[in-house]
Amino acid sequence: MSRGFSITARLRPELVATITATVAVIATLAVAATLLALGGHSPGDAFAALARGAFGTWDRFVSFTLVRATPLLLTGLAVALAFRARVWNIGAEGQLHAGALAGVAVALLLPGAGAVLALPITLLAAAAAGALWASVPAAMKTEMGVGEVITTLLMNFVALFLAQFLVQGPLRESRGVFNQTDEIPAAAHLPALLPDTRLHLGFLFGVVIAVTLWLFLTRTPGGFRIRAAGASVRAAEVSGRFSVTPVIWLSFLASGAIAGLAGWIQIAGVTHRMYEGLSPGWGYTAIAVALLARLHPLAVVVTAIVFGALSAGGGAMQREAGVPEVWVRGIEALVILAVLTADRIVQGMAASRD
Amino acid sequence: MTAAARLDSITRRFGHVTALDTVDFELAPGEIHGLLGENGAGKTTLANILGGLLVADAGGVEIGGRAVDLRSARDARALGVAMVHQHFSLVPRFTGFENVALFNGEAWTRRGTATRGYRSQVEARARELKLAVELDAPVAELGVGERQRIEILKALMSDTRVLLLDEPTAVLAPQEVDGLFAVLREVAGAGTAIVLVAHKLDEVLAVADRVTVLRRGRHVLTEAAAGLTARELAKAMVGRGLAAAGARGAGWAAGSEGEPPSARAAADAGGRAGQSEADADPVAVLDDVTVGSGEAPALRDVSLTVHRGEILGIAGVDGNGQRALAAVLAGMVRPDTGTANLSEEAGWIPQDRSDEGLVKDFTIVENVALALHGNASHRRGPWLDWAGIADRSAALVDEMDVLAGSPDARAGTLSGGNQQKVVTGRELLRAGELLVAESPTRGLDVQATRAVRARIVELARTGDRPPGVVLISTDLDEVLELADRIAVMVRGRLIPVPPEDCDATAIGALMLSAGSTGDGGHGGGGNDAGHGGGRAGREHTT
Repeated sequence: MSRGFSITARLRPELVATITATVAVIATLAVAATLLALGGHSPGDAFAALARGAFGTWDRFVSFTLVRATPLLLTGLAVALAFRARVWNIGAEGQLHAGALAGVAVALLLPGAGAVLALPITLLAAAAAGALWASVPAAMKTEMGVGEVITTLLMNFVALFLAQFLVQGPLRESRGVFNQTDEIPAAAHLPALLPDTRLHLGFLFGVVIAVTLWLFLTRTPGGFRIRAAGASVRAAEVSGRFSVTPVIWLSFLASGAIAGLAGWIQIAGVTHRMYEGLSPGWGYTAIAVALLARLHPLAVVVTAIVFGALSAGGGAMQREAGVPEVWVRGIEALVILAVLTADRIVQGMAASRD
Repeated sequence: MTAAARLDSITRRFGHVTALDTVDFELAPGEIHGLLGENGAGKTTLANILGGLLVADAGGVEIGGRAVDLRSARDARALGVAMVHQHFSLVPRFTGFENVALFNGEAWTRRGTATRGYRSQVEARARELKLAVELDAPVAELGVGERQRIEILKALMSDTRVLLLDEPTAVLAPQEVDGLFAVLREVAGAGTAIVLVAHKLDEVLAVADRVTVLRRGRHVLTEAAAGLTARELAKAMVGRGLAAAGARGAGWAAGSEGEPPSARAAADAGGRAGQSEADADPVAVLDDVTVGSGEAPALRDVSLTVHRGEILGIAGVDGNGQRALAAVLAGMVRPDTGTANLSEEAGWIPQDRSDEGLVKDFTIVENVALALHGNASHRRGPWLDWAGIADRSAALVDEMDVLAGSPDARAGTLSGGNQQKVVTGRELLRAGELLVAESPTRGLDVQATRAVRARIVELARTGDRPPGVVLISTDLDEVLELADRIAVMVRGRLIPVPPEDCDATAIGALMLSAGSTGDGGHGGGGNDAGHGGGRAGREHTT
């Protein structure tokens, strides 16, 4: 036993994290297999169908898995950044909607914007709207000491209902049939990333943001402050001699901006319209994506693809193996439980060494 | 007569620190037993062992003459040992009666009607103990004194052989203290033995039958209170004979047996000559500084001057404003009134090294970066110069003799002594003009203590422009050993100690004085207005 512990202790923390996450995913699959079997399904068939749906062909992988991973990647990065600063932003879902609405509104209402400028302007608008949405809980936290878990969560409902109101009213399509907006002008569409696939430039944005965040957190004084404040507010203030308030603001606003981009990029890259129920809860799944990645921006790219694959494979699992797609949601939940449990176990092993 | 409780040769360690070292303790039925000691002397640990909250590493516990094995507070309660903690454990929304019923496992309804029987029992017990309690108001609306009486009643509803009170007077106003003592005498009169954990001498002498003094985890004395004076107790607590203390008189340089040789060497080499030149060179001046407001500001009218190359020792019992003083000197807190004239960045070794001095999940390099990351010379354009910071950290590990695998070791994996060396080394990097060291050797073993003290002394004694050092410590020995000048903090005031009075007894008495130090207010005898059977607590509700 003690031999095992000391091996863990000697490994680099990143490696330990990777092993933990991998073990968690495997454990999840084992539990899911058991449950599937108990539910009268064949786990083998179900997983095979899921894997085919997610990775079966190049096109399945690129046009489905990666496309579905994109909003999870962006919101996952948003959550990871905030959590690094110990800002518990549960509001990526609301910030995503705020960004989506702002992007659509600008794209539809400012047709005069030249084609070249349409994308930059709408992207900026979406980021600004996401940041604005996050600024409310940020102000409540820093000015009044109101816990952000509640405020960011509640702001989600405000954003969702605002979106409903707008697509049913002021922004409703001119045909007036469905509760959705008109299609955005082609100039505001995100171009394809790979020819003949549905994968759009948004995925690349996500990867670039991931690398940028990683460099920021590990190589710059500002990122160092976020990590220090997130690890210990008192140590940051007493030993780092800086106030954590600006750090909280920065992480809140940047997190909101990235989540805001996620909403608009989904529209500009995939749906080309805003409608009710745009997001199946990406802003919440993002928490799992970020936690599974242990809040490491580069790892978020990987975990977002894992969750994108689950989402892309879920449909295939239902069609081909007759396993209801809702099982996928269950598997997602199991992943979170497994990661958190594995985390505790590894920490316990490290602690018992001392 | 059988002892109410007896602890036999109890030892309890926390990591490397021995909190109790083969301590014996005996409690007679019906006595009030004062348990005294400085911070960290082990008094709360002892109470917690008797209360079942901690298990001793070695030694035996007897209750009512029977050897027992206490594994939890529940075990202790079953044997008639009740504890009232410094922080009350009452449900704020519940009424006093509901809290008493809840604790004692009784059913009740919102109005207490279903359990009239229990209600009358509670009332009867309160009358018996002459406890003025408010049973029908939510606890949240009660004053501290009233809450404490409910705690006591709660603990005493069932048969109680031993009642443990952890610093019960710390939260009370002086009039309430008198009221509490009246209650305690009543309770003891009914046969319950009471352990009163405290650090205010005059209070203990006023109420206790016997007194036990602990010092650094060891038993120093147990005697009848009647034969003791506050001065004798102070001496026992700080643990230094009059003769030894007198011998050092004014001088830091008057070295004696207990000093770390390296510290003395550093002083001889660098010290005294350079210091007289530096005398006129202040590096920090506080003038009439007050922080906080109301009845008990954290600092009141504090004036001090720190000179280059001197070590100014600040003694005092924890929680008398030292924290605020350190924060002001380090430039982290602005005075509310008065002026602080400080030179640029100061080093600050905070008291709580593991939560404030370090980020435990960070490596040594990252912890050093806490001090350097804002520094332009450790940036390359927008980037942090990690290579440069790593070099500085490696040098620091070397210089401070930190035992760690490498500068990339996580701070949380280091021992307390090595953690403190990292903090000390890092703050020395910062301390151009001023170093504030708050209990820098608390919890360290002998070796690490020597190393850290030697480094601080060396810093103040060597070089052309040594910084001034403010050493804030609750360890009087440390202050006496290292400091050139000494002042004592009591209730937010800073009282300079004249050189001729620099002995442990005089300083100890100052440290432990309960307010007779000039703010004129409380602590005097004969203050018994407003309690008796009454409800004095109400007047102090905030």
